[in-house]
Amino acid sequence: MSIMKETSPTSVPELDFNTPAAVLHRRIRRTKDKAATVGVGVGGISVIIAILLIFLYLLYEVIPLFRSASIEQQATYTVPVTSAQTLYMTMEEQAEIAMQVTANGEVVFFDTLTGNTVKRQSLPVPQGVEITSFAEGSAASHLLALGLSNGQTLIFKHRYKITYPNDQRVISPFLDFPYGEQPMEVDTQGAPLTKLAIRDTEAGLTLAAVTQDGRTPITQYVKEEDFLTMEVQLVQKSIELPVREQGVLSLHIGPSQRWFYVVLEDGNLDVFDLKAGAQARLADRVQAVAQGQRITEAKLLLGGISLLIGDSQGKISQWFMVRDQQNLGQYKLQPIREFQLGQAPIVNISVEHRRKGFLAVDAQGMIGVYNTTAERTLLQETLVKGTSNLISISPRADVLLSLNQAGQIQKFHVDNEHPEVSWHSLWGEVWYESYDEPSYTWQSSASNNEFEPKFSLMPLAFGTLKAAFYAMLIATPLAICGAIYTAHFMAPSMRRKVKPVIELMEALPTVILGFLAGLFLAPFIELNLPGIFALLILMPIGIVAASFAWVNMPRQIRHMLPEGWDAAILIPVVLVIAWVSIAMSHPLEQWFFNGDMRAWLTNDLGIPFDQRNALVVGLAMGFAVIPTIFSIAEDAIFSVPKHLSHGSLALGATPWQTLVRVVLPTASPGIFSAVMIGMGRAVGETMIVLMATGNTPIMDANIFEGMRTLAANIAVEVPESEVGSSHYRILFLAAFVLFMFTFVVNTAAEIVRQRLRKKYGAL
Amino acid sequence: MMEAQAIERDQDPASTVNEASKGHAMDISSLNRGVSTRTLEQEDVCIDVRNMNLFYGDKQALFDVNMRIPKKRVTAFIGPSGCGKSTLLRSFNRMNDLVDGCRIEGEINIDNQNIFEKGMDITDLRRRVGMVFQKPNPFPKSIYENVAYGLRIQGINKKRLIDETVEWALRSAALWDEVKDRLHESALGMSGGQQQRLVIARTIAVKPEVLLLDEPASALDPISTLKIEELINDLKDDFTIVIVTHNMQQAARVSDYTAFMYMGNLIEFGNTDTLFTNPTEKKTEDYITGRYG
Repeated sequence: MSIMKETSPTSVPELDFNTPAAVLHRRIRRTKDKAATVGVGVGGISVIIAILLIFLYLLYEVIPLFRSASIEQQATYTVPVTSAQTLYMTMEEQAEIAMQVTANGEVVFFDTLTGNTVKRQSLPVPQGVEITSFAEGSAASHLLALGLSNGQTLIFKHRYKITYPNDQRVISPFLDFPYGEQPMEVDTQGAPLTKLAIRDTEAGLTLAAVTQDGRTPITQYVKEEDFLTMEVQLVQKSIELPVREQGVLSLHIGPSQRWFYVVLEDGNLDVFDLKAGAQARLADRVQAVAQGQRITEAKLLLGGISLLIGDSQGKISQWFMVRDQQNLGQYKLQPIREFQLGQAPIVNISVEHRRKGFLAVDAQGMIGVYNTTAERTLLQETLVKGTSNLISISPRADVLLSLNQAGQIQKFHVDNEHPEVSWHSLWGEVWYESYDEPSYTWQSSASNNEFEPKFSLMPLAFGTLKAAFYAMLIATPLAICGAIYTAHFMAPSMRRKVKPVIELMEALPTVILGFLAGLFLAPFIELNLPGIFALLILMPIGIVAASFAWVNMPRQIRHMLPEGWDAAILIPVVLVIAWVSIAMSHPLEQWFFNGDMRAWLTNDLGIPFDQRNALVVGLAMGFAVIPTIFSIAEDAIFSVPKHLSHGSLALGATPWQTLVRVVLPTASPGIFSAVMIGMGRAVGETMIVLMATGNTPIMDANIFEGMRTLAANIAVEVPESEVGSSHYRILFLAAFVLFMFTFVVNTAAEIVRQRLRKKYGAL
Repeated sequence: MMEAQAIERDQDPASTVNEASKGHAMDISSLNRGVSTRTLEQEDVCIDVRNMNLFYGDKQALFDVNMRIPKKRVTAFIGPSGCGKSTLLRSFNRMNDLVDGCRIEGEINIDNQNIFEKGMDITDLRRRVGMVFQKPNPFPKSIYENVAYGLRIQGINKKRLIDETVEWALRSAALWDEVKDRLHESALGMSGGQQQRLVIARTIAVKPEVLLLDEPASALDPISTLKIEELINDLKDDFTIVIVTHNMQQAARVSDYTAFMYMGNLIEFGNTDTLFTNPTEKKTEDYITGRYG
């Protein structure tokens, strides 16, 4: 474009900025600039959108947890058998076939949608004997028992065979008699059994009844397996009650066959200990309902530990046996929580087969859906036509059958996916079954279906903060002091070596840190506990002493090191102190702690000690967090303009005064965000806490005990949780909490940082 | 009175170096200085530099400097970039200690005490020998706290005493009237010229004996520069002032004595009028007539 004329080198070069090439170049340049602007904009907005999408997805997974239940009527028909009273009604797994037991000894299986009879079978009740009572084992066991007028009981099971002829599912119901078709004796005197209770487990069978003449005979059959033939022998044992009960509403036997509950209509509730000998012992007697009220319904909740008591004013209370704090070894009946359904008497309670939930219906046809753990009322609605009689929830808790006094059955579809979660069950103290007191507990799964899942996020949130706290306790002072020294005092040549090395620490995969912490550091600390403490005490003292000695060395020696390299002499000092501390660990342990500091901690001080504890996590995660904090804080301090520190020094300030009064305030926004970013890292860190904490979800600030953090919990439990289950969604909720936590911390940090920056804005 | 004269000087078109070199007699001094009758040798010595050599690593930056800077006068250092004038200035309060690999031979005596002596309290030296830098560097604190800073680091915490000193220092720096209503606002909100005067106020608040000014006005606009120059004129009754400047008119305007440095050597040091009108050294003449620099 420009041509230098050789003949006249001093002439002005001819520049033409309007040649086609130049114009094209300008256009390309403009396009590039525009593309860059758009690209950066799109990139930035995409990041925000991505974060927003994560947020929305978490919400999408979490929100169903807090939905209440809904019930929708699907069919109405009259009951297939109207000749006799229906004693019991239930459904099979698919809720396609229902079963009812009538007072004349007939079992009728019918289609739940149409009411058409599928099968009818008469029970083998002996001639001339009438059915006087009925009992249900547990909802999930399908075990039922009839109390007969000759003091005997007939035990049977309803079972279903599923076949697929022509690829069609066919469910064929049948009856099974696990103890034979012959009735078993309950009352040796042969009086009619007006009330009956049955509990069958692998250990034994307990039958309890109330006879017409007011006695309460109990028969226990202990199952003894012959170890040669593997045959099960039943050894019969009779137990008597110490008192005569009047006006019994129902009898209930706990799953361990120890507690025997007698519910009286007048509102009293007696509990007997069946393991006290030939005569049962009255363990507790309480007035379960308010004065003037009557008990109208009682049922054991899934698992048989809790007793639900419905009264004549629509109140349902939950009770279970709790260890008595005053009398050691004794148990008492404890009211746990209450639910209120309308004002009419509770007619029937149907407990869910898989969850600690139940449905109740009152005399006016109002149905309530509840969950005990979450203390949650999911639905209350008047649905039953006429006077209600019985309700029954299907095993999967998706179908509800209601039978009214007129013999009419209503089939409802129930949508109640996640009843066990509430704000209270997540963050509050919950009194779980068999616990002595309300507690914060995380225990999401167990080996049986009767287990009460404990979804308190408190221990996890606590564990997260505990791990972060100990990590920050170790990382913050070290990282910030290191940053101050490196940025402010260290020779630039040394700084150029130190800074990249510490930043390199950040590149260390945390799984390696966690691995080392869990497999090397934890046992090492356990073995050398006095040494570790000696190290923590000696290291600062030693460093200060060494520095002091160095400063007072003769000039000749000091000048052997270039100025600003003084820190290098600490390397051997640190190594020697570490070696000495560890070497004297065992002698120290011998002298002061009788050879075992861990035992001394536990026995003499009462501090429990876990091998994988907060100290290990603090050290390992502190190590992971140090480079983050160090790097950002060092940059912040180093970027304080030199003319500010020189200005201060020129006024006669010492380097320390300059640091404290000028440099640190000016760098404070950066140091603050360094700490906050470090904190965010410590809170979200997963691998180290996963491998070095022991993952015990306990709430204890003790440095010698482990914890489980939100992040580690998600990592541990997500692979084993069923997709879409409450547990799965709660893990998403935990993720959401973690997300919100970091979000709130970062936002607060940014606001504070902006304030600081405005106040100490660099020039 | 001073202000009027300063403006007068500034408006004087004759006070440019080029014109001076053309032989115009420069009457910059006699009116407002009144001390020019004394020669450099007759003045009381404040800073006595003896056989000073300064090295940055292997590179020597100052060569055998000997000079006696008079007390309560304004001394200007001029010279081309990199001639060592700032280095020399920064030696007076040992700010060069902060430079990696800086080594000094020889002596600098301030009030008959060698500042390189072992056991010298550097912080006290720096209080006595205050310094103002080229770029205004107020701390990110309030105006009041900036001025009080020097007192606080000396452990003076009596509020009344600090209040009085702050007001005195700000008045001395001709800043009081401008800032008295916003003493507790951030110093960073001030203009560059105000900031520089604040820095001067901050420096004189600790009552130094010597005031080192390292190109104090080079980052400022002409009006601010003028105010700084007036201020220097006001302050010289109380302080020994050493100023490094690139601006030869400024040196001519504000100083009583001028030192010309070149390539780390002190070439010429003498009465400002003499140096500008009748330099003894050829190099000085070349410089002030604009041959190089």
